[in-house]
Amino acid sequence: MPTRRQPAQSATTNADPKAAPNARAAGGRRASAKPDVRGVGPRGRISADDPRVTLEQEIGSDLYEPIPPFPIKTEREGEFYSLRDGEIFLNIGPHHPATHGVLRLVLKLSGEQIVDVDPVIGYLHRGVEKICENSDYYHVIDQVDPLEYLSSLFQEWPAVMAFEKLMDVEVPRRAEYIRVLTGELLRISSHTLYMGFMALDLGGLTPILYSFIERDEIVEMLASITGARMLFNYYRIGGVNGDLNHEFMSRLGDWMSRAGKQAEAITALLNENEIFLRRMRDVGTMDRATALRYGVTGANIRACGVPFDLRRAHPYSVYPEIDFNIPTREEGDSLARYLMRVDEIKESIRIIDQCLHQMPDGPIMAKLPRLLRPRPGRAWAAVEAPRGSLGVYAMSDGTDQPFRFRIHDPSFMHLGVVPHMLPGNLLADTMAIVSSLDPVMGGVDR
Amino acid sequence: MDRTLKNRLEVRLAGLTRGPVRQRYDETEIRVSPGDAPKVLTILHDSIDLRFEILADLAGVDTGAEMQVVYHLWSPASDDWLRVVAEGISRDDPRAPSATFLWPGAEWLEREAYDMFGIVFEGNRDLRRILMPADYLSFPLRKDFLLGDDASRTPGAGVRHSERAQVPATPAGGDPAVRRAPAS
Repeated sequence: MPTRRQPAQSATTNADPKAAPNARAAGGRRASAKPDVRGVGPRGRISADDPRVTLEQEIGSDLYEPIPPFPIKTEREGEFYSLRDGEIFLNIGPHHPATHGVLRLVLKLSGEQIVDVDPVIGYLHRGVEKICENSDYYHVIDQVDPLEYLSSLFQEWPAVMAFEKLMDVEVPRRAEYIRVLTGELLRISSHTLYMGFMALDLGGLTPILYSFIERDEIVEMLASITGARMLFNYYRIGGVNGDLNHEFMSRLGDWMSRAGKQAEAITALLNENEIFLRRMRDVGTMDRATALRYGVTGANIRACGVPFDLRRAHPYSVYPEIDFNIPTREEGDSLARYLMRVDEIKESIRIIDQCLHQMPDGPIMAKLPRLLRPRPGRAWAAVEAPRGSLGVYAMSDGTDQPFRFRIHDPSFMHLGVVPHMLPGNLLADTMAIVSSLDPVMGGVDR
Repeated sequence: MDRTLKNRLEVRLAGLTRGPVRQRYDETEIRVSPGDAPKVLTILHDSIDLRFEILADLAGVDTGAEMQVVYHLWSPASDDWLRVVAEGISRDDPRAPSATFLWPGAEWLEREAYDMFGIVFEGNRDLRRILMPADYLSFPLRKDFLLGDDASRTPGAGVRHSERAQVPATPAGGDPAVRRAPAS
């Protein structure tokens, strides 16, 4: 462990860590900073959100300082924001090409080794739960749609499931099959994109191009029944919005003849790539107990050897009628998490094949009134989204708006385990670990 | 609906639950007082016949009269989701014990519940804002935090008891529901 002090020109180095280990709390660092010539904001500081900060103006170095400009509140925060000898802060994000959106990671480094990390989230927070509590039950579906923007059907699914429980609606079987079919298509698209982005974060540009070819075919297919390429707004309380049509079926049949071909092209590029393997293997290892206690779900927990998949662990929709396996791996490292996605794509293709053979005829919507007023009650529904179990907790008070609408997002939980996984690794592995967990910031911030 | 789970819960949690064990579809619900929550969660997590090892969700709820903390748990030993509602938390000074001693992952969930409702989880060592900025002062999901835009002007606006409480006293003969209708 290197103990040499970092040079003092780094804006992030504490002035005198020995004299005042918690200089922020003592107010020492801020008091000695040079006075701000641009004028002082209402609370005595200028933040990045200040409209007066523009590109033309010179921005002081303290704008990007990782130390928060307010008093420390909690035990853990005080522990994190005090530096010991030889440690420095490094701020990554919120706008950084490898952070998958606006994620900010404040790293505490000793040399090249990560000592601690404080993920800062909330940059995309729009208060969707509050908006949903103020819109009626039909509107909720399109409010939640853009949250997990890479797999937006999975965001609608638990919401409509929870509302169906509240209203005692029975969904026609054909609608359930259509939901499973479209959901699994989107899972393939999401996992293929993950594989490409994983390689992109490690410096490989080519795989992402193949992923977008696969994703494009799938979203065009879904666009022919939903009318949109990205935010589908397709599931409805009591069914789905439109039946399968000729264009969808011909595109799907065409695609099934070479299903997963682009994903295989990516695996051919990556699975025997020595650089990729060495950067992934034994990096960011998570054990079984940690995964369970930190609320990790989805492919990330199955990469630790826990066969927890809600499609089998708590069956919903028509998954009990479909034959598929739950692949698991024992290693728990970044490579295992990547390979889990490869395996799941193959299982999803099997599910789609069975859906097409078993799809019954019949209606696709249950009969529902225009204004929904479920009786007072509570409902919880969760589905296995590409990133893990995505749940919705809805409370009704008898009016046409949900009284409480809570979205539980798996990416949120996966970022919560990052402070446990990163310490001890090297700075260069940060992105190999964070992006192998596959967070989508739209879902994290809600 | 898992009938045997109901029996197992009634045996293991005798004297700790408030009211009966409720079941509907694939959900089983028990209600506890916030002080008993750590004990109940430990029993649920550790008992060999319950084994609720995955915390699926932790949510704060503001009913307008009191605060609640709602836990959803998953177990390999049951087909049901278990919902544990810690009810009766004061709205003026909401405090509840933390669940981080069992599930460290609850730390972020409790931070979110604190951020949105102001519920202070005693025992959580990192209870600060997570989604809202650190210098933000309100708790946006509380029912006395009203939206000013027209998203709330659906035909149901004014019916909700929590919002009705916020409508200023109407002049004689006035109807609160009429006052909240859109201007156009």
